[in-house]
This record gives sequence, structure tokens and C-alpha cells, in this order.
Amino acid sequence: MREPPKNRIALDAIKVWKITAAIYIGVLWLLIIAVGVLFYIFDFPFWIILTAAILNAINTYLFIFVIPELRWKKWKYEIFEQEIYIQHGILITTRTLVPMIRVQHVDTEQGPIMKKFKLASVTISTAATKHVIPALHEEDAANLRDGISSLARVEEDDV
Amino acid sequence: MSKAKRLHPAAIVFNFVQGLKGWIFYIIISFVALRDSSILYFILGLLALLLIIFTFSFLSWYRFTYRIVADELRMEYGILIRKKRYISKNRIQSIDLTQGVIHRIFNLTKVQIETASSGTDAEASLKAVKLAEGERIRDQFKGHVIDPEQEDQPEVDSDPVFSISSRRLWLAGATSGSAGIILAFVGVGFSEIEQFIPEHFYDSMTAWIIGLSLIFIITLGIFLLFFIWILGILGTMIKYWKFTITKKDDELFITRGLLEKKQITIPIKRIQAVGINESVIRQPFGFVTLFAEVAGSSLDKGEDFSTVLFPILRKTEVKQFLDAILPGYDVEMDQSKSILVPKRGLKYYLIRASLIFVLLGIGTIFLLPKIIWFLIPVLLVFLGLGYLRFKNAAYQIDENRLIIQYRNLSKTTVMVYHKRIQAFEEKQHKLHQKENLATIKVSVLGKMGAGKVYKVKELDKENADKLADWYSYSVSNK
Repeated sequence: MREPPKNRIALDAIKVWKITAAIYIGVLWLLIIAVGVLFYIFDFPFWIILTAAILNAINTYLFIFVIPELRWKKWKYEIFEQEIYIQHGILITTRTLVPMIRVQHVDTEQGPIMKKFKLASVTISTAATKHVIPALHEEDAANLRDGISSLARVEEDDV
Repeated sequence: MSKAKRLHPAAIVFNFVQGLKGWIFYIIISFVALRDSSILYFILGLLALLLIIFTFSFLSWYRFTYRIVADELRMEYGILIRKKRYISKNRIQSIDLTQGVIHRIFNLTKVQIETASSGTDAEASLKAVKLAEGERIRDQFKGHVIDPEQEDQPEVDSDPVFSISSRRLWLAGATSGSAGIILAFVGVGFSEIEQFIPEHFYDSMTAWIIGLSLIFIITLGIFLLFFIWILGILGTMIKYWKFTITKKDDELFITRGLLEKKQITIPIKRIQAVGINESVIRQPFGFVTLFAEVAGSSLDKGEDFSTVLFPILRKTEVKQFLDAILPGYDVEMDQSKSILVPKRGLKYYLIRASLIFVLLGIGTIFLLPKIIWFLIPVLLVFLGLGYLRFKNAAYQIDENRLIIQYRNLSKTTVMVYHKRIQAFEEKQHKLHQKENLATIKVSVLGKMGAGKVYKVKELDKENADKLADWYSYSVSNK
């Protein structure tokens, strides 16, 4: 049996995901309210808007209160000298192996919310695939990026 | 050193046609809109547009020059904004010569130059130069000499050459994809359609009209299918006419085509995976198509997903072919060494193959209860397909080589070296976890820089882990 990777991503990732989800869902709520007002003015059947509201309430519960924690729990990664090992996925668990010599470049990225929590995401690109580690502490992300790019060497005879 | 040269003036025609293509839609729309009231304006407008396009075509031809300077191809182009592109010899991956019908009339060729970059277009393309000039450019940059006159005669030296015989070519056409469409229609369609259409339609008001036209429709249908089949044969013939593959040093050369003559170069180093494809129609006859995944090539844009190494081969000939053309590649699976999907994975395969059909079917049954007699055989076909997919899914490890076999509609067996695999993935959903099953995914670099993914679903977790261990570089993880 293969062991799962050892390292977890930053705990603040949960907060970031919650805030991001809250923003998206907030926009949806605003939309529903706006449409609801229109429906009220023009006297359209109300059950449509009610269904939308119920669906969005379920969304709110799932995406803000349930999924971020589960997602964090499942997210693990480990960097070896010769490869990167990633595990993620709530319902479908995916474990990915990316050899260092296949890595073409590494990017770190930071949005406004992530910046507030001093987090950054790391994207590892091979010639054919892309793998994202979604939330690490800024320094960890920078170290990881530099570490991987120094370990990543492209063999001459391949791609 | 050489002087800056322009393309052959025929390039103006190509530019013109290309420019016109972008406008054809608007031309048709405005023709429809203006046809009655102001046809005169339409004609004037059209003439003005043609003039403008022609001017641009002419200017872009006039402003495009290329020259070869010390192992570098230098191009300068652009009507208003001048662009220069220099490509050096050791960055060039392959040079392809393509001759369309117009090219052949003037004895010209299009030269496409590929570098390692992952764009969809050729890095540089010279739309029309004299064939001799095109070959000179290719030879200068690739250092190979192929005499086009000698193509038809057997090669003097010992380089392995494989050509398609006309009988095989015909066979390839007759069993091409279009034959599959017919088979689907004939196999499941006709026997059943006759049963339920008349009953359903005869009691309606327009029964006799439909009754009459039904015979007509069926006849028409048969003719149509026959027509599709003939088209398939013609299409294959035109595409693979005189298909010849030659190995020279570390490159493969492919020449093919009746109307559009193509000469393709494949550097062997760039081959990521080699596989055979057994379509449903060809499999019973023991014929396969041999293909390769070549990194970063834009050959056959929009035609094939992979580069065809040979359009049709007997399965028993594959080994001999590969030994000669691509030593080190072997796509044959050893039954005793290959790892199959365990029995408990079968249900997933059956459900996946039939789920959409069952959902659609249930919907239809509510509307047309009688249709069930038509649906059941179709369902059986889908279940059969699921079973075949289950039977065919397998992998095999041979030291540093991995062979994966799977079936969508046609069965594909593909071989890839350890070092060509870009990433490895193992997937499990909740049900898989309970049953100790896992799906594996192997990513390889495909054409146009996009990844190509090979999957084997519902393997025994243990076997999936075995593959992960084989792939993993880290000893600590084993």
C-alpha cells in the first residue's frame, strides 16, 4: 500500500476558500434578490425564484461550510528530490506523481484574498500537464518554487 | 549566404483565397439581403472588396522575403508593421513539404518548418516556392537528400522502406470510418426501423403518402450509405495514395497523397508513444493502423489525432515493421505478463457504457412505449461494448516500457517509455475505495503541445500501486 503524501497545505486555505465562495455566492444572492424584485413588480410566478433561493441556500451551506474543510483535509503534498507527490479530491481521491526532470516551469500566484492571509498557490507545469498546489504560506511557496526549479532539469534528449 | 528571395507569385493566389475565405460568409449574407433591391450596389461592393483583398494579397507577397544566412532562415514580412523572424538550423525539428493541386500545376511546394514550440501553427511556412527550391531548403537544414524522381523506384541503399500496395489501400478505404457509420445503420437500424415505423405511422392521416415515400426513403438511405462508403474509399485513397515511409538515420520520412502531395519528416527523438488502433471493422480481419504521438508537430491539422505511421497493416506484420522502422518499440502484449481489470470492475464498465443510453431510453419509452423492442437490442450492443472495454483494458510493464491497452470504440494498444511519461495519476472514488479498485492515468506529450492521456479504469488497487511504484523515482516511497 502506498503511503499518502505527508505535508498539508496551509490551514488558512480554508478561510480563503470560504471567503472566495462567499463572494461568488453573495453575487448569486444579489442576483436572486434583484430578479425577485423584478418578479414581484411584474407579478411573475414566485415559485421560480423560491426554487432558485432554496438551491442557492444549499450552495451556501455546501460551498461555505462543508466543502472547504473537507477539501483541506484531503489536500496533501510531498516534495522528494526526484519527484512531486500530490493528493487531493473529496469524492474522487487523486494521487499524482510528477518527476522533477519532467517539470518545465514553476509559478507562484497570489490573489488579493490570498495576499491578506499571506498565502500563495504554486503551479507546476510539465510539457503536457499542469498541477496546482492551491495554498501555501508565502515563504513556503517561494522556497518550493525555487527548490523545484533548481531540482528540475530537462534531459537533453527529451522534449 | 544568399540573396533575399520572394515566394513564387502563386502565393498571391493563396493569400487571395485565404483572405476571401474570411469574407465569404458576409458576402453571402449581403447577397441574400441585397439581391432584389440593390444588386448593383452589391456587385460594386463585391468588386471593391475583391480589389482590396487582392491588393493586400499582392502586398503581403511583395513584402515577404526570406533568405538563408549561415544556417539560419531569415524571414521578413508584414505590410505595415515589419516583422523579422530568424530560425536557426539546430532549432528546426522538421520540415514538411506539401503540394496542393495548384502547387502541382506550377511544380511548387509549400514548406512548413516546425520548431519545438508548442503552437498550433507551423513556426514558419513558405506558402509557395519551386519544388527544387523547397527541397534545397529542406536538405540544407536537415541534411538529407531525397530525389523526388526516384520515389517510385526502390531505394538503392539499405534504408528500410515500406510502401502501401494498391490492394491494401483499397482495403483501408473499404474498412475506413465511413464503413463504421454504415455498419451501425445496417446492423441496428434497418432490421428494426421497418418493424416499428409502419405501425406507428400507418394509422395517421397521411399514412399512404408516408407509405409510398417510405420505400423511397429506404432506397435513398441505402444509396446514401453506399455513397458514404464510396466517399470513404475515395477519401482514404486520396489521402494515403502511394504512402511510403522511410527511415533515414534518426528520422522518418513519409510521402503520401494523390491530390495534395505531402512529405513529412518525423525526428525519432520526438516520438513520445507508438500504438496500434484496431477499429471495430478491421479487427475481425486482423488489420490495424499504426500511429505515433509526435511532440509539438502540427502535421495533419484537424485530420488525425496522432501521426499515422502506416494506414493499414496486418497485426502479424506490426512487429517486423517496427523492428525495421522503429527499433525499440513493440506494441505486442504478452498475455501472461499483462495485468487485467478484476471481475469486480466489470459492473462499472457496463454502467458507463450504457448509462446515457438507458437514461435516454427511459425517457423515450414514456413517450413511445412500443419503441422498447427497438431499444433492447441497442442496449445489448452497448452492454457488449462495455464488456469488450472491460476485456481489453490492460497494462503491461517491460523494464522501462509501459504498454497500455484500452478500447473506446476501436481497440488501442500503445507503448510508451518510462522517460516519456509526463505525469502519473491514480484515482479512487468512494466506491472504489470500498472495493479496492483504482483508475490510473498516464500523461504523454501529444501534438500541438497538448497532453495525451491514457487511462486504465478499475484496476486492482494493488496493481495500480505497482504501476505507481514502477513510475516513481523516489526509492523512499517504495
